[in-house]
This record gives sequence, structure tokens and C-alpha cells, in this order.
Amino acid sequence: MPSEFLNVQAYENIVLAQITKERLLDAPTINTLAQELTLLLDRYPKISLVLDLAAVDYLSSAMLGKIVALYKGVKTNKGRMAMAGVKPALMPLFKVTQLDKLMEFFPEAKDAIFLYKRKPL
Amino acid sequence: MKNLRILPGEPPPLHDLVLTRTWPSRLDLKTEIMDTIINSLRPRGVLSEGDEQWLTLCLDEAVVNAMLHGNEGDPGLSVRVEVAADAQSWTICIHDQGEGFSADAIPDVTDPASLLLEHGRGIRIMREWLTDLVYYRGGATISMHRRASSPESVADRSDQES
Repeated sequence: MPSEFLNVQAYENIVLAQITKERLLDAPTINTLAQELTLLLDRYPKISLVLDLAAVDYLSSAMLGKIVALYKGVKTNKGRMAMAGVKPALMPLFKVTQLDKLMEFFPEAKDAIFLYKRKPL
Repeated sequence: MKNLRILPGEPPPLHDLVLTRTWPSRLDLKTEIMDTIINSLRPRGVLSEGDEQWLTLCLDEAVVNAMLHGNEGDPGLSVRVEVAADAQSWTICIHDQGEGFSADAIPDVTDPASLLLEHGRGIRIMREWLTDLVYYRGGATISMHRRASSPESVADRSDQES
């Protein structure tokens, strides 16, 4: 699935979605990315999604809202979702909004993939 | 949102102004506005390492709110920006031409019942990093203030304390 802002690799229902855009601030970028992420939920039922933010330097509250929407979609389909590679400078955004209590965070995507492979849904 | 300060009157006049400018209320100008503000502060020496990332985020929230919510997306309206800085601190005021807003309209996203809301986190994030965040003119002016020595954020402080 070609994408402007996303690299997707799938290992059965474990899906690694790497965001390749550094700045997630502009509405067109955020909306396009959100649409592409939502398509993953249609393509992979009961997904184990690893969202890799290692390339991201700037993240607006609008993008946080899209991530929450994605999380809700994953949960609706009885899937699971992990955040990976969030840079230390961005982590306070998830802490002050308490999203760190809602979602699982891993230092690197491979850590989450390893866990999901060991514990299939 | 509790404890959000929205005052009815005009903001106090700023001293040590380094920028006063008005832009059309167009989102395609957002990056230009943000860059102009940051460039006005950079030579003053009040932005430490890591500040520009947070400042960019705060400006993004403030400018988008002014254009989309305050000015209701009307490109015929404008946003006026004032930036003041001295050796220890800076203040940025962004004025829109809207009617303002009520604190009741802003959810407390740290309330567990609101955790899954898809909006309403911008002001929470701004309050975290700024030394002071006050709205004037009923919400149509945002005043963002930060002392240069302010801690990065409460989240960082709690990390250090734990």
C-alpha cells in the first residue's frame, strides 16, 4: 500500500506502521495520515498495531486526537495497539494528557513486535 | 476545564515589544507566522535548547485556535500578534476577532471519563510548558508567558522526583 507518510509492514495480523513525516502539525498531513491508518483497520481485522513514531519531532494535539481515534478503532475490533520509538522530547505530551496510561509504550518497535509475536491474540 | 483563566478585559500593554504584526486569518500562513515569532525571539537569547520544539507546538495550537475557533475559519478576518521579550522572559499575545469562549467548553482531558475524547488537549499541553497562560477579551486574546528558567514540564519534574 503506497503511502506518502507511512511505511507499513505486516506479519500476519501484527502490523508495523512507521510514520515517516517529522512534523505532524498541518491539518492536511494529519488528515491524510489518519485516513491511511484507519485503512489498516479495514485491511487487518483484530489487528496488533505497532505505531512507530521514531521519525517524528513535532506532534500537535490534533494528531494526538487522531491517535486516540485510531486506538478506539483498534479496541472496537478487539485488537491491540502499541506506541513505539516516541522521542524523549515528545513523551511529556503523552504524559500530561495521560495517554501514557491508556496505551502501551515501547522504546523501539521491535520490542513491541517481539511481545506481540510471543503473545498472539 | 478548571482553573483556566479567561478574563473579560483587554490584556495589559506589553513592554519590550520585539514584534507587532497582523496577518490574514489563513491557515496556509501558519508556518510563516510561527517562524516569524520564533525568529523574533531567537536573537534575544531567551530560548534554551528544547524550547523551540515546545514553542512551535504552543504556537501551532494558539494560531490554529485563533483562526479556526476564534475567527471561525473566515479568511477575511485577521490575527494580530504581539511579542515582547526581556533578558529573562517572553510574552506572546495572539488576538483574534471572535467572540471568545467559555472554560466550560474545554474538556479536562486528564479526567478518566474524558480520556478517549479526540479533541481538547491543546490548552492542556500549552499550560504544561508555559509559565503563565491567560485569555483576555473573553478568550479572543491568548497571552502566553514563559520565564527562561522555567522547568521543561511538570511531567519531567515528576520523572525527576520519582
